Amino acid sequence: MQINWRWPTPDGKPPVVTVLALALPLVLMFFTASVVGMSPDKLLSAMPRLLDFTQHLWVMPDWDYLPQLGKKMLETVEMTLLATALAIVLSLPLGILAARNASPHPWLYRFSRDLLSSIRALPELVWALVFVSALGLGPLPGIMALALVTVGFMGKFIAEAIEVVSAEAIEGLEATGCNKFQSILYAMLPQAVPDFIGSLLYILDHNLRAASILGLVGAGGIGYDMVMSMRLFNYERIGMIAISIYLLVTLLDRLSDVFRRKALGDLLNVH
Amino acid sequence: MACITLRNVTKTYPDGFCALKNINLDIAAGEFIAILGPSGAGKSTLLRTINALDPASSGEISIDGEVLTPRNRRRVRARIGMVFQQFNLVDRLNVMTNVLIGRLAERGWLSSLFYLFPQSDFQIAEAALREVDLLDKAWSRADKLSGGQQQRVGIARALAQQPKLILADEPVASLDPKASEDVLALLRKICTEKGITVVVNLHQVEYARQYADRIIALNAGSVMFDGSPEHLSPSKLAVIYGITTPLESRHADKLALAHA
Repeated sequence: MQINWRWPTPDGKPPVVTVLALALPLVLMFFTASVVGMSPDKLLSAMPRLLDFTQHLWVMPDWDYLPQLGKKMLETVEMTLLATALAIVLSLPLGILAARNASPHPWLYRFSRDLLSSIRALPELVWALVFVSALGLGPLPGIMALALVTVGFMGKFIAEAIEVVSAEAIEGLEATGCNKFQSILYAMLPQAVPDFIGSLLYILDHNLRAASILGLVGAGGIGYDMVMSMRLFNYERIGMIAISIYLLVTLLDRLSDVFRRKALGDLLNVH
Repeated sequence: MACITLRNVTKTYPDGFCALKNINLDIAAGEFIAILGPSGAGKSTLLRTINALDPASSGEISIDGEVLTPRNRRRVRARIGMVFQQFNLVDRLNVMTNVLIGRLAERGWLSSLFYLFPQSDFQIAEAALREVDLLDKAWSRADKLSGGQQQRVGIARALAQQPKLILADEPVASLDPKASEDVLALLRKICTEKGITVVVNLHQVEYARQYADRIIALNAGSVMFDGSPEHLSPSKLAVIYGITTPLESRHADKLALAHA
Protein backbone atom coordinates (compact mmCIF):
# COMPACT_ATOMS: atom_id res chain seq x y z
CA MET A 1 0.00 0.00 0.00
CA GLN A 2 1.30 3.44 -0.94
CA ILE A 3 1.57 6.03 1.85
CA ASN A 4 1.68 9.69 0.86
CA TRP A 5 3.63 11.49 3.56
CA ARG A 6 3.03 15.19 4.12
CA TRP A 7 3.70 17.85 6.75
CA PRO A 8 0.76 19.39 8.65
CA THR A 9 0.99 22.74 6.85
CA PRO A 10 -1.44 24.24 4.30
CA ASP A 11 0.85 23.45 1.33
CA GLY A 12 2.26 20.22 2.74
CA LYS A 13 5.85 21.52 2.69
CA PRO A 14 7.98 21.81 5.84
CA PRO A 15 7.61 25.23 7.53
CA VAL A 16 10.30 27.71 6.44
CA VAL A 17 11.06 28.92 9.97
CA THR A 18 11.75 25.40 11.25
CA VAL A 19 14.00 24.58 8.30
CA LEU A 20 15.94 27.82 8.81
CA ALA A 21 16.25 27.26 12.56
CA LEU A 22 17.79 23.83 11.92
CA ALA A 23 19.97 24.88 8.99
CA LEU A 24 21.31 28.15 10.40
CA PRO A 25 23.48 26.65 13.19
CA LEU A 26 25.06 24.26 10.66
CA VAL A 27 25.83 27.12 8.26
CA LEU A 28 27.26 29.22 11.12
CA MET A 29 29.42 26.32 12.26
CA PHE A 30 30.76 25.83 8.74
CA PHE A 31 31.91 29.46 8.52
CA THR A 32 33.19 29.91 12.08
CA ALA A 33 35.03 26.63 12.61
CA SER A 34 38.14 27.85 10.76
CA VAL A 35 38.14 31.17 12.60
CA VAL A 36 38.37 29.56 16.04
CA GLY A 37 40.77 26.93 14.76
CA MET A 38 38.42 23.99 15.20
CA SER A 39 39.42 21.17 12.89
CA PRO A 40 38.91 17.41 13.23
CA ASP A 41 42.64 16.52 13.01
CA LYS A 42 43.52 19.10 15.66
CA LEU A 43 40.92 17.66 18.00
CA LEU A 44 42.11 14.14 17.27
CA SER A 45 45.76 15.00 17.81
CA ALA A 46 44.86 16.50 21.20
CA MET A 47 43.40 13.19 22.32
CA PRO A 48 46.66 11.54 23.49
CA ARG A 49 47.57 14.55 25.65
CA LEU A 50 44.07 14.65 27.12
CA LEU A 51 44.34 10.94 27.96
CA ASP A 52 47.77 11.58 29.45
CA PHE A 53 46.28 14.19 31.80
CA THR A 54 43.42 11.89 32.87
CA GLN A 55 45.90 9.10 33.56
CA HIS A 56 47.80 11.35 35.94
CA LEU A 57 44.62 11.86 37.96
CA TRP A 58 44.63 8.20 39.00
CA VAL A 59 46.98 8.66 41.91
CA MET A 60 46.64 8.16 45.64
CA PRO A 61 44.90 11.24 47.12
CA ASP A 62 46.93 13.53 49.32
CA TRP A 63 45.13 12.71 52.59
CA ASP A 64 47.10 15.32 54.55
CA TYR A 65 45.41 17.94 52.41
CA LEU A 66 41.93 16.85 53.58
CA PRO A 67 41.50 19.31 56.55
CA GLN A 68 42.59 22.24 54.36
CA LEU A 69 40.23 21.07 51.59
CA GLY A 70 37.31 20.91 54.05
CA LYS A 71 38.05 24.40 55.31
CA LYS A 72 38.23 25.83 51.80
CA MET A 73 35.06 24.06 50.65
CA LEU A 74 33.21 25.37 53.70
CA GLU A 75 34.45 28.85 52.85
CA THR A 76 33.15 28.42 49.29
CA VAL A 77 29.71 27.39 50.56
CA GLU A 78 29.64 30.28 53.02
CA MET A 79 30.54 32.72 50.26
CA THR A 80 27.74 31.32 48.07
CA LEU A 81 25.08 31.53 50.76
CA LEU A 82 26.09 34.95 52.06
CA ALA A 83 26.34 36.50 48.60
CA THR A 84 22.98 35.03 47.55
CA ALA A 85 21.24 36.18 50.75
CA LEU A 86 22.68 39.67 50.35
CA ALA A 87 21.58 39.72 46.73
CA ILE A 88 17.98 38.71 47.56
CA VAL A 89 17.61 41.65 49.94
CA LEU A 90 18.98 44.12 47.40
CA SER A 91 17.32 42.73 44.28
CA LEU A 92 13.75 42.47 45.56
CA PRO A 93 13.07 46.24 45.53
CA LEU A 94 15.11 46.67 42.34
CA GLY A 95 13.23 43.82 40.66
CA ILE A 96 9.86 45.35 41.58
CA LEU A 97 10.93 48.70 40.12
CA ALA A 98 12.13 46.93 36.97
CA ALA A 99 8.82 45.10 36.37
CA ARG A 100 6.69 46.91 33.82
CA ASN A 101 3.41 46.31 35.63
CA ALA A 102 4.69 47.08 39.14
CA SER A 103 6.98 50.04 38.52
CA PRO A 104 5.54 53.33 39.78
CA HIS A 105 6.84 55.30 36.80
CA PRO A 106 8.03 54.40 33.26
CA TRP A 107 11.27 56.34 33.78
CA LEU A 108 12.01 54.45 36.99
CA TYR A 109 11.28 51.22 35.12
CA ARG A 110 13.75 52.13 32.34
CA PHE A 111 16.37 53.28 34.82
CA SER A 112 16.24 50.11 36.96
CA ARG A 113 16.28 47.91 33.84
CA ASP A 114 19.41 49.68 32.58
CA LEU A 115 21.02 49.60 36.02
CA LEU A 116 20.47 45.83 36.27
CA SER A 117 21.88 45.14 32.81
CA SER A 118 24.92 47.35 33.45
CA ILE A 119 25.64 45.33 36.62
CA ARG A 120 25.39 42.14 34.58
CA ALA A 121 27.67 43.47 31.85
CA LEU A 122 30.86 42.38 33.65
CA PRO A 123 31.36 38.81 34.94
CA GLU A 124 32.03 37.96 38.62
CA LEU A 125 35.73 37.45 37.99
CA VAL A 126 36.23 41.01 36.76
CA TRP A 127 34.25 42.50 39.65
CA ALA A 128 36.30 40.31 42.01
CA LEU A 129 39.49 41.82 40.58
CA VAL A 130 38.09 45.29 41.22
CA PHE A 131 37.10 44.44 44.81
CA VAL A 132 40.36 42.61 45.55
CA SER A 133 42.33 45.70 44.56
CA ALA A 134 40.07 47.80 46.80
CA LEU A 135 39.65 45.50 49.82
CA GLY A 136 42.67 43.20 49.61
CA LEU A 137 42.79 39.40 49.36
CA GLY A 138 40.26 37.12 51.06
CA PRO A 139 36.65 35.99 50.80
CA LEU A 140 35.11 39.44 51.40
CA PRO A 141 35.83 40.86 47.93
CA GLY A 142 34.62 37.54 46.50
CA ILE A 143 31.30 37.85 48.35
CA MET A 144 30.90 41.46 47.20
CA ALA A 145 31.56 40.58 43.58
CA LEU A 146 29.26 37.58 43.66
CA ALA A 147 26.46 39.50 45.41
CA LEU A 148 26.70 42.35 42.90
CA VAL A 149 26.41 40.17 39.81
CA THR A 150 23.66 38.13 41.48
CA VAL A 151 21.67 41.34 42.07
CA GLY A 152 21.93 41.98 38.33
CA PHE A 153 20.54 38.56 37.47
CA MET A 154 18.09 38.10 40.31
CA GLY A 155 16.62 41.59 39.77
CA LYS A 156 15.94 40.67 36.16
CA PHE A 157 14.43 37.30 37.10
CA ILE A 158 12.20 38.87 39.77
CA ALA A 159 11.04 41.54 37.32
CA GLU A 160 10.19 38.90 34.73
CA ALA A 161 8.41 36.71 37.28
CA ILE A 162 6.25 39.70 38.27
CA GLU A 163 5.52 40.67 34.66
CA VAL A 164 3.99 37.29 33.78
CA VAL A 165 1.65 37.24 36.79
CA SER A 166 -2.01 36.87 35.74
CA ALA A 167 -3.76 40.21 35.37
CA GLU A 168 -7.04 38.87 36.82
CA ALA A 169 -5.91 38.76 40.45
CA ILE A 170 -4.42 42.25 40.14
CA GLU A 171 -7.70 43.54 38.74
CA GLY A 172 -9.55 41.84 41.58
CA LEU A 173 -7.48 43.86 44.04
CA GLU A 174 -7.76 47.11 42.12
CA ALA A 175 -11.54 46.79 42.13
CA THR A 176 -11.53 46.87 45.96
CA GLY A 177 -9.84 50.29 45.94
CA CYS A 178 -6.35 49.06 46.86
CA ASN A 179 -3.34 51.16 45.98
CA LYS A 180 -0.46 50.01 43.81
CA PHE A 181 1.77 49.15 46.75
CA GLN A 182 -0.89 46.84 48.16
CA SER A 183 -1.55 45.16 44.83
CA ILE A 184 2.20 44.48 44.45
CA LEU A 185 2.30 42.89 47.91
CA TYR A 186 -0.93 40.92 47.79
CA ALA A 187 -1.41 40.00 44.12
CA MET A 188 1.91 40.22 42.28
CA LEU A 189 4.46 38.87 44.77
CA PRO A 190 2.47 35.81 45.95
CA GLN A 191 1.79 34.82 42.34
CA ALA A 192 5.44 35.32 41.39
CA VAL A 193 6.68 32.99 44.16
CA PRO A 194 6.93 29.77 42.07
CA ASP A 195 8.96 31.47 39.31
CA PHE A 196 11.02 33.21 41.93
CA ILE A 197 11.91 29.99 43.76
CA GLY A 198 12.86 28.37 40.45
CA SER A 199 15.33 31.12 39.60
CA LEU A 200 16.64 31.31 43.16
CA LEU A 201 17.60 27.62 43.08
CA TYR A 202 19.24 28.06 39.68
CA ILE A 203 21.17 31.08 40.97
CA LEU A 204 22.37 29.15 44.06
CA ASP A 205 23.69 26.44 41.78
CA HIS A 206 25.39 28.99 39.53
CA ASN A 207 26.86 30.92 42.48
CA LEU A 208 28.40 27.80 43.98
CA ARG A 209 30.30 27.21 40.74
CA ALA A 210 31.22 30.89 40.51
CA ALA A 211 32.43 30.94 44.14
CA SER A 212 34.66 27.95 43.47
CA ILE A 213 36.50 29.83 40.72
CA LEU A 214 36.85 33.27 42.36
CA GLY A 215 39.97 32.12 44.24
CA LEU A 216 41.70 32.44 40.87
CA VAL A 217 42.09 36.17 41.55
CA GLY A 218 42.58 35.75 45.29
CA ALA A 219 38.99 36.39 46.28
CA GLY A 220 38.58 33.39 48.60
CA GLY A 221 37.13 29.90 48.26
CA ILE A 222 38.52 26.68 46.82
CA GLY A 223 39.57 28.34 43.53
CA TYR A 224 43.03 29.40 44.66
CA ASP A 225 43.99 25.85 45.72
CA MET A 226 42.59 24.45 42.50
CA VAL A 227 44.55 26.79 40.28
CA MET A 228 47.77 26.36 42.27
CA SER A 229 47.52 22.55 42.14
CA MET A 230 46.97 22.75 38.37
CA ARG A 231 50.02 24.97 37.90
CA LEU A 232 52.22 22.78 40.12
CA PHE A 233 50.90 19.56 38.50
CA ASN A 234 49.80 18.48 41.96
CA TYR A 235 47.53 15.69 40.68
CA GLU A 236 47.00 14.30 44.20
CA ARG A 237 45.00 17.42 45.04
CA ILE A 238 43.29 18.22 41.72
CA GLY A 239 41.29 15.00 41.81
CA MET A 240 40.18 15.59 45.39
CA ILE A 241 39.09 19.16 44.68
CA ALA A 242 37.20 18.18 41.54
CA ILE A 243 35.40 15.34 43.31
CA SER A 244 34.42 17.50 46.29
CA ILE A 245 33.03 20.25 44.04
CA TYR A 246 31.10 17.62 42.12
CA LEU A 247 29.70 16.16 45.34
CA LEU A 248 28.68 19.58 46.65
CA VAL A 249 26.95 20.60 43.42
CA THR A 250 25.10 17.28 43.27
CA LEU A 251 24.02 17.61 46.90
CA LEU A 252 22.70 21.11 46.23
CA ASP A 253 20.85 19.83 43.19
CA ARG A 254 19.14 17.09 45.23
CA LEU A 255 18.25 19.53 48.01
CA SER A 256 16.80 22.04 45.60
CA ASP A 257 14.70 19.30 43.99
CA VAL A 258 13.19 18.44 47.36
CA PHE A 259 12.69 22.08 48.23
CA ARG A 260 11.11 22.92 44.89
CA ARG A 261 8.59 20.09 45.24
CA LYS A 262 7.66 21.23 48.75
CA ALA A 263 7.44 24.90 47.86
CA LEU A 264 5.42 24.51 44.67
CA GLY A 265 3.12 21.77 45.93
CA ASP A 266 0.53 22.35 48.57
CA LEU A 267 2.93 21.52 51.43
CA LEU A 268 4.17 25.07 51.67
CA ASN A 269 1.19 27.34 52.09
CA VAL A 270 2.12 30.93 51.41
CA HIS A 271 0.43 32.88 54.21
CA MET B 1 -32.80 58.12 46.16
CA ALA B 2 -30.78 56.90 43.26
CA CYS B 3 -27.73 54.86 44.15
CA ILE B 4 -26.13 55.04 40.70
CA THR B 5 -26.80 57.65 38.04
CA LEU B 6 -25.36 57.57 34.54
CA ARG B 7 -25.77 60.68 32.36
CA ASN B 8 -24.85 60.55 28.66
CA VAL B 9 -22.14 57.97 29.34
CA THR B 10 -20.11 57.01 26.29
CA LYS B 11 -17.15 54.67 26.15
CA THR B 12 -14.85 54.51 23.15
CA TYR B 13 -11.82 52.23 23.32
CA PRO B 14 -8.44 53.39 21.97
CA ASP B 15 -8.94 51.19 18.87
CA GLY B 16 -12.02 53.28 18.02
CA PHE B 17 -14.61 50.68 19.08
CA CYS B 18 -17.58 52.42 20.68
CA ALA B 19 -18.80 50.08 23.43
CA LEU B 20 -21.35 52.39 25.08
CA LYS B 21 -23.42 55.03 23.29
CA ASN B 22 -24.99 57.78 25.32
CA ILE B 23 -26.28 55.69 28.22
CA ASN B 24 -28.68 57.24 30.76
CA LEU B 25 -29.65 55.13 33.76
CA ASP B 26 -30.89 55.56 37.30
CA ILE B 27 -30.45 52.64 39.66
CA ALA B 28 -32.16 52.86 43.03
CA ALA B 29 -30.59 51.68 46.27
CA GLY B 30 -31.45 48.07 47.10
CA GLU B 31 -32.46 47.06 43.57
CA PHE B 32 -31.40 43.72 42.04
CA ILE B 33 -30.68 44.42 38.39
CA ALA B 34 -29.81 41.95 35.65
CA ILE B 35 -28.16 43.21 32.49
CA LEU B 36 -28.79 41.13 29.37
CA GLY B 37 -27.55 41.35 25.84
CA PRO B 38 -25.52 39.46 23.24
CA SER B 39 -21.73 39.15 23.53
CA GLY B 40 -20.04 42.44 22.67
CA ALA B 41 -23.15 44.47 23.50
CA GLY B 42 -21.28 46.43 26.17
CA LYS B 43 -22.50 44.65 29.33
CA SER B 44 -19.02 44.27 30.86
CA THR B 45 -18.00 47.75 29.79
CA LEU B 46 -21.09 49.20 31.48
CA LEU B 47 -20.19 47.55 34.81
CA ARG B 48 -16.53 48.47 34.48
CA THR B 49 -17.29 52.15 33.87
CA ILE B 50 -19.32 52.24 37.10
CA ASN B 51 -16.23 51.54 39.22
CA ALA B 52 -13.87 53.10 36.66
CA LEU B 53 -11.88 49.94 35.91
CA ASP B 54 -12.59 51.15 32.37
CA PRO B 55 -13.24 54.88 32.86
CA ALA B 56 -16.01 56.41 30.71
CA SER B 57 -14.84 58.52 27.75
CA SER B 58 -17.51 61.13 28.33
CA GLY B 59 -20.62 61.69 30.43
CA GLU B 60 -21.08 61.64 34.15
CA ILE B 61 -21.39 58.77 36.63
CA SER B 62 -22.31 59.38 40.22
CA ILE B 63 -22.47 56.88 43.04
CA ASP B 64 -24.52 57.94 46.08
CA GLY B 65 -24.52 61.50 44.78
CA GLU B 66 -20.73 61.61 44.43
CA VAL B 67 -19.49 62.21 40.88
CA LEU B 68 -16.71 59.83 39.77
CA THR B 69 -13.43 61.58 39.01
CA PRO B 70 -9.89 60.21 38.61
CA ARG B 71 -9.13 61.70 42.05
CA ASN B 72 -11.81 59.96 44.10
CA ARG B 73 -11.69 56.73 42.08
CA ARG B 74 -9.99 54.56 44.71
CA ARG B 75 -12.18 55.83 47.55
CA VAL B 76 -15.36 55.18 45.56
CA ARG B 77 -14.17 51.69 44.58
CA ALA B 78 -13.67 50.83 48.24
CA ARG B 79 -17.47 51.07 48.67
CA ILE B 80 -18.23 48.97 45.58
CA GLY B 81 -17.74 45.21 45.63
CA MET B 82 -16.97 43.47 42.36
CA VAL B 83 -17.44 39.82 41.44
CA PHE B 84 -15.79 38.49 38.27
CA GLN B 85 -16.38 35.69 35.78
CA GLN B 86 -12.91 34.26 36.48
CA PHE B 87 -13.26 34.98 40.26
CA ASN B 88 -10.00 37.02 40.19
CA LEU B 89 -8.74 35.62 43.48
CA VAL B 90 -5.08 35.40 44.40
CA ASP B 91 -4.70 31.64 43.90
CA ARG B 92 -1.67 31.12 46.11
CA LEU B 93 -3.10 32.91 49.13
CA ASN B 94 -5.53 31.22 51.50
CA VAL B 95 -9.24 31.98 51.51
CA MET B 96 -9.07 34.15 54.65
CA THR B 97 -6.37 36.42 53.17
CA ASN B 98 -8.35 36.70 49.95
CA VAL B 99 -11.37 37.89 51.93
CA LEU B 100 -9.22 40.24 54.04
CA ILE B 101 -8.05 41.85 50.79
CA GLY B 102 -11.53 43.43 50.84
CA ARG B 103 -10.35 45.37 53.92
CA LEU B 104 -7.03 46.53 52.42
CA ALA B 105 -8.32 49.85 51.10
CA GLU B 106 -8.89 50.93 54.72
CA ARG B 107 -5.41 49.89 55.85
CA GLY B 108 -2.17 51.85 55.78
CA TRP B 109 1.01 50.84 54.00
CA LEU B 110 2.94 49.72 57.09
CA SER B 111 0.45 47.11 58.27
CA SER B 112 -0.02 46.02 54.63
CA LEU B 113 3.74 45.49 54.32
CA PHE B 114 3.72 43.05 57.25
CA TYR B 115 0.46 41.36 56.19
CA LEU B 116 -1.08 42.42 59.50
CA PHE B 117 -4.81 43.03 59.98
CA PRO B 118 -6.64 44.20 63.11
CA GLN B 119 -8.84 41.70 64.93
CA SER B 120 -11.92 43.68 63.83
CA ASP B 121 -11.09 42.93 60.18
CA PHE B 122 -10.94 39.23 60.98
CA GLN B 123 -14.43 39.47 62.49
CA ILE B 124 -15.71 41.17 59.32
CA ALA B 125 -14.01 38.54 57.14
CA GLU B 126 -15.36 35.67 59.27
CA ALA B 127 -18.89 37.10 59.08
CA ALA B 128 -18.52 37.38 55.28
CA LEU B 129 -17.32 33.76 55.04
CA ARG B 130 -20.19 32.60 57.24
CA GLU B 131 -22.57 34.46 54.92
CA VAL B 132 -21.29 32.47 51.91
CA ASP B 133 -21.08 29.28 54.03
CA LEU B 134 -17.34 28.72 53.58
CA LEU B 135 -16.00 29.37 57.08
CA ASP B 136 -14.66 25.80 57.22
CA LYS B 137 -12.47 26.50 54.17
CA ALA B 138 -10.96 29.68 55.63
CA TRP B 139 -7.40 28.32 55.75
CA SER B 140 -7.38 26.39 52.48
CA ARG B 141 -5.50 27.76 49.53
CA ALA B 142 -7.89 29.53 47.14
CA ASP B 143 -6.95 27.38 44.13
CA LYS B 144 -7.84 24.18 46.00
CA LEU B 145 -11.53 25.12 45.94
CA SER B 146 -14.10 24.27 43.28
CA GLY B 147 -15.31 26.95 40.86
CA GLY B 148 -18.54 27.55 42.76
CA GLN B 149 -16.67 27.82 46.06
CA GLN B 150 -14.12 30.21 44.55
CA GLN B 151 -16.92 32.43 43.31
CA ARG B 152 -18.41 32.46 46.82
CA VAL B 153 -15.00 33.54 48.15
CA GLY B 154 -15.16 36.33 45.56
CA ILE B 155 -18.54 37.34 46.98
CA ALA B 156 -17.16 37.16 50.55
CA ARG B 157 -14.29 39.48 49.50
CA ALA B 158 -16.88 41.91 48.13
CA LEU B 159 -18.90 41.65 51.37
CA ALA B 160 -15.79 42.32 53.46
CA GLN B 161 -15.64 45.74 51.80
CA GLN B 162 -19.00 46.43 53.51
CA PRO B 163 -20.22 47.83 50.20
CA LYS B 164 -23.40 49.67 49.25
CA LEU B 165 -23.25 48.18 45.78
CA ILE B 166 -22.02 44.90 44.30
CA LEU B 167 -21.22 44.63 40.59
CA ALA B 168 -21.11 41.07 39.24
CA ASP B 169 -19.62 40.63 35.76
CA GLU B 170 -21.00 37.31 34.45
CA PRO B 171 -20.53 35.64 37.83
CA VAL B 172 -21.99 32.31 36.69
CA ALA B 173 -20.59 32.04 33.14
CA SER B 174 -17.85 29.61 34.31
CA LEU B 175 -20.05 27.56 36.65
CA ASP B 176 -22.29 24.51 36.34
CA PRO B 177 -26.09 25.00 36.73
CA LYS B 178 -26.19 23.99 40.41
CA ALA B 179 -23.31 26.30 41.41
CA SER B 180 -24.84 29.04 39.24
CA GLU B 181 -28.10 28.90 41.13
CA ASP B 182 -26.28 28.87 44.48
CA VAL B 183 -24.31 31.97 43.54
CA LEU B 184 -27.31 33.88 42.20
CA ALA B 185 -29.49 32.91 45.17
CA LEU B 186 -26.70 34.13 47.44
CA LEU B 187 -26.50 37.49 45.64
CA ARG B 188 -30.29 37.76 45.79
CA LYS B 189 -30.25 37.04 49.53
CA ILE B 190 -27.51 39.63 50.14
CA CYS B 191 -29.56 42.18 48.21
CA THR B 192 -32.78 41.45 50.08
CA GLU B 193 -31.39 41.06 53.59
CA LYS B 194 -28.67 43.70 53.63
CA GLY B 195 -30.23 46.15 51.20
CA ILE B 196 -27.08 46.11 49.04
CA THR B 197 -27.71 47.10 45.43
CA VAL B 198 -26.68 44.29 43.07
CA VAL B 199 -26.04 44.67 39.34
CA VAL B 200 -25.43 41.37 37.53
CA ASN B 201 -24.43 40.72 33.92
CA LEU B 202 -26.02 37.51 32.66
CA HIS B 203 -26.20 35.42 29.53
CA GLN B 204 -29.15 33.31 30.71
CA VAL B 205 -32.50 35.06 30.26
CA GLU B 206 -34.17 32.52 32.58
CA TYR B 207 -31.90 33.43 35.51
CA ALA B 208 -32.58 37.11 34.89
CA ARG B 209 -36.34 36.53 35.01
CA GLN B 210 -36.03 34.38 38.13
CA TYR B 211 -33.84 36.62 40.30
CA ALA B 212 -33.98 40.23 39.09
CA ASP B 213 -36.31 43.07 40.10
CA ARG B 214 -35.47 44.88 36.93
CA ILE B 215 -33.87 43.91 33.63
CA ILE B 216 -31.80 46.21 31.47
CA ALA B 217 -30.93 44.93 28.00
CA LEU B 218 -28.16 46.26 25.83
CA ASN B 219 -27.38 45.80 22.18
CA ALA B 220 -24.51 47.48 20.32
CA GLY B 221 -23.91 49.84 23.21
CA SER B 222 -27.45 51.16 23.58
CA VAL B 223 -30.24 50.35 26.05
CA MET B 224 -32.88 48.30 24.20
CA PHE B 225 -35.07 47.42 27.16
CA ASP B 226 -35.42 48.64 30.72
CA GLY B 227 -38.22 47.32 32.87
CA SER B 228 -39.55 44.54 35.06
CA PRO B 229 -39.06 40.89 34.02
CA GLU B 230 -42.81 40.47 33.24
CA HIS B 231 -42.58 43.05 30.48
CA LEU B 232 -39.79 41.23 28.68
CA SER B 233 -41.81 39.53 25.93
CA PRO B 234 -40.38 37.00 23.42
CA SER B 235 -40.62 39.57 20.63
CA LYS B 236 -38.61 42.08 22.68
CA LEU B 237 -36.03 39.37 23.40
CA ALA B 238 -35.76 38.67 19.69
CA VAL B 239 -34.97 42.34 19.09
CA ILE B 240 -32.41 42.43 21.91
CA TYR B 241 -30.52 39.41 20.62
CA GLY B 242 -30.84 40.53 17.01
CA ILE B 243 -32.91 37.54 15.87
CA THR B 244 -34.82 39.19 13.02
CA THR B 245 -36.82 36.27 11.70
CA PRO B 246 -39.37 34.56 13.96
CA LEU B 247 -38.60 30.97 14.91
CA GLU B 248 -41.29 29.40 12.64
CA SER B 249 -39.90 30.88 9.45
CA ARG B 250 -36.38 29.71 10.39
CA HIS B 251 -37.70 26.19 10.60
CA ALA B 252 -39.30 26.68 7.20
CA ASP B 253 -35.88 27.65 5.85
CA LYS B 254 -34.35 24.46 7.16
CA LEU B 255 -37.17 22.38 5.68
CA ALA B 256 -36.71 24.04 2.33
CA LEU B 257 -32.99 23.23 2.48
CA ALA B 258 -33.74 19.63 3.36
CA HIS B 259 -36.04 19.29 0.37
CA ALA B 260 -33.60 20.90 -2.01
